[in-house]
Amino acid sequence: MNVLQIQNLHVAVEGKEIIKGVDFELDQGKTAVMFGPNGSGKSTLLGAIAGLPGYEITRGSIWYKGRDLRSLSIDERARLGIGMSFQYPPAIKGVRLSTLLNVLSQDAQTMLTNAEDLNMSEYLDRDINVGFSGGERKRSEILQLMIQEPDLMLLDEPESGVDIENISIIAAALKTILEKDKPIKKRMRSAIIITHTGYILDYINADIAYVIMDGHLLGCGTPGEIFEEIRAHGYKQCCECFAEKYQNIQTGDI
Amino acid sequence: MIPRELNSQRLETIGYDTCVTSCGNFLVLDQEVVDNRCTISGLRVVPLKEAFSVFPDMRERLYFNLIRRDMNELTALASREDPVGYYVYVEPGVKIEEPLQAAFLFGMTGTTQKIHNIIELGDGSELNIVNGCTTLNTGDSGTHLGITETYVGKDAHLGYTMLHNWGDTMEVYPVGAVQVAENGRYISNYVAMTSVKKIVSCPVAKVLSGGSARFYSIIYAREGSFFDTGSKVVLEGEGSSGEILSRVVSEGGTVISRQMLTGCVPKTRGHMECSGLLLNDHGVIHSIPEIRGEHPDISLSHEAAVGRISDEELSYLRMRGLTEEQSRSLIIRGFLDIKIEGLPDKVKNLVNDVIERSVSGTL
Ligand SMILES: Nc1ncnc2c1ncn2[C@@H]1O[C@H](COP(=O)(O)OP(=O)(O)OP(=O)(O)O)[C@@H](O)[C@H]1O
Ligand SMILES: [Mg+2]
Repeated sequence: MNVLQIQNLHVAVEGKEIIKGVDFELDQGKTAVMFGPNGSGKSTLLGAIAGLPGYEITRGSIWYKGRDLRSLSIDERARLGIGMSFQYPPAIKGVRLSTLLNVLSQDAQTMLTNAEDLNMSEYLDRDINVGFSGGERKRSEILQLMIQEPDLMLLDEPESGVDIENISIIAAALKTILEKDKPIKKRMRSAIIITHTGYILDYINADIAYVIMDGHLLGCGTPGEIFEEIRAHGYKQCCECFAEKYQNIQTGDI
Repeated sequence: MIPRELNSQRLETIGYDTCVTSCGNFLVLDQEVVDNRCTISGLRVVPLKEAFSVFPDMRERLYFNLIRRDMNELTALASREDPVGYYVYVEPGVKIEEPLQAAFLFGMTGTTQKIHNIIELGDGSELNIVNGCTTLNTGDSGTHLGITETYVGKDAHLGYTMLHNWGDTMEVYPVGAVQVAENGRYISNYVAMTSVKKIVSCPVAKVLSGGSARFYSIIYAREGSFFDTGSKVVLEGEGSSGEILSRVVSEGGTVISRQMLTGCVPKTRGHMECSGLLLNDHGVIHSIPEIRGEHPDISLSHEAAVGRISDEELSYLRMRGLTEEQSRSLIIRGFLDIKIEGLPDKVKNLVNDVIERSVSGTL
């Protein structure tokens, strides 16, 4: 069963078309990874799924668990189980991280345990992301997701700027949320991960990978295969080849 | 004891005699002192009129000394009558942890309440005062005049917290003047979260060598409310410092925020900051920061910003599943959260409580 279904999606930012007709499906329990050069529209695609302001869907549709997301507000989508970790999380002065986490869950003990797991205990009393280093912000994002427990996670470069040790800490947390310890059939949670470095893939097994180029989703393959291609030949060349190679493969169908 | 007929819910909104233990209490209803307790030696809390006879020279020294009788019509009016208010005196060297709680209740619709308070901290002493002002019943209307003359001795430390919970039918004119002696410290913390017809106030602090004066104000201006408030710090002694910080939210009300820092002598430094948040397009926030330097060896600065809640912050919180309303109040609450150093936790908690309840709409 698919949890997310995107059909012929076009998204404009400030009147400029950024996503130019994307079709995409994600099955429940699966993790997809997305590669693509800077400015190709990765964050825009996630923003449109999440419902962030400024991302205008000009054509096409996004369905989540059988519901048309276009008519749902950002917080309605969140309450239906969509969660996001931001590439550039904003700082919120005056609002303590623990204050937000307490609103998300009454379970104080879980909050403390999760914070400890993510090395974030001493940040709970600080204002959200205020003065946090790049890596701390990313851990703060993942901590919030752990409390939120979304069914579909949109992870925008969760490991960029994070040191090796902390990547494994973040990955462990994501694995917990994604129930990677359960047999494949029992996994209910899904994720889309954007990554440039692919480091996160050393820890989390993604099921499928895509490349976004200039607002188009260019085929899919196994994460290892695609990442190797990009590393070996660069985006431009490899995508041309992927475009040909996977033209006929139904997305999500390998 | 508080007279039973007084509406305790109204008193709670200004933190009076709640669960917070205090070193003393002072409560005025209209022009009458109705509660006056003091449990600590070295601290005197005496009705001002009575104090004139108990402390022989204090009238001469302290009454209408920092503030002129003819400053305006209201001060002139007050000076012609027997004063109602407190004289708070802390003996030199006495440090008091528990706050002193005072409240001024207004219940005589159509009249003018005139209050005159004098605070004197002996050298090296410490005190925190929580002052609350409110109406006896919601809807009482009239005018409140509050004169406060404050004397902070050498090396003394006063934390002065003022909570206002008036109503949209009250006009309020606080007049304040503060003198901070050598190495003394004065912190004023003003909080007004509820409607008021009009408040005009701009206390002045003069600071001698090594001393400091800090004014913090938190104002939430609802539809129809008018605030013309601010503070002035005059740095008269070498090495003195001042800080004026205000956070203003307008939900349709008008706020003129005046701030002025003057550095008269070398090695004075000061900073002021006014941040305003407009929640809709009916409100006005007019920030007027002024800086005056009278010597090259000073450092004075200011920052001011008026804007609205950032969309980015709002969507970030909504992306976590909070409703728009929840997210807004969390951000507003955060905006109003000035982390003030030098106030005891007890007072901070009390103030936070008042702000919290008011932002979440239960005041
Ligand atoms: N608010 C905006 N105003 C104008 N252009 C925008 C805005 N937001 C995004 N864009 C443009 O849309 C394009 C796609 O941006 P997006 O953030 O989706 O890229 P990305 O694939 O996530 O890149 P990166 O790898 O650098 O994060 C970029 O060219 C960007 O400049
Ligand atoms: Mg991006």
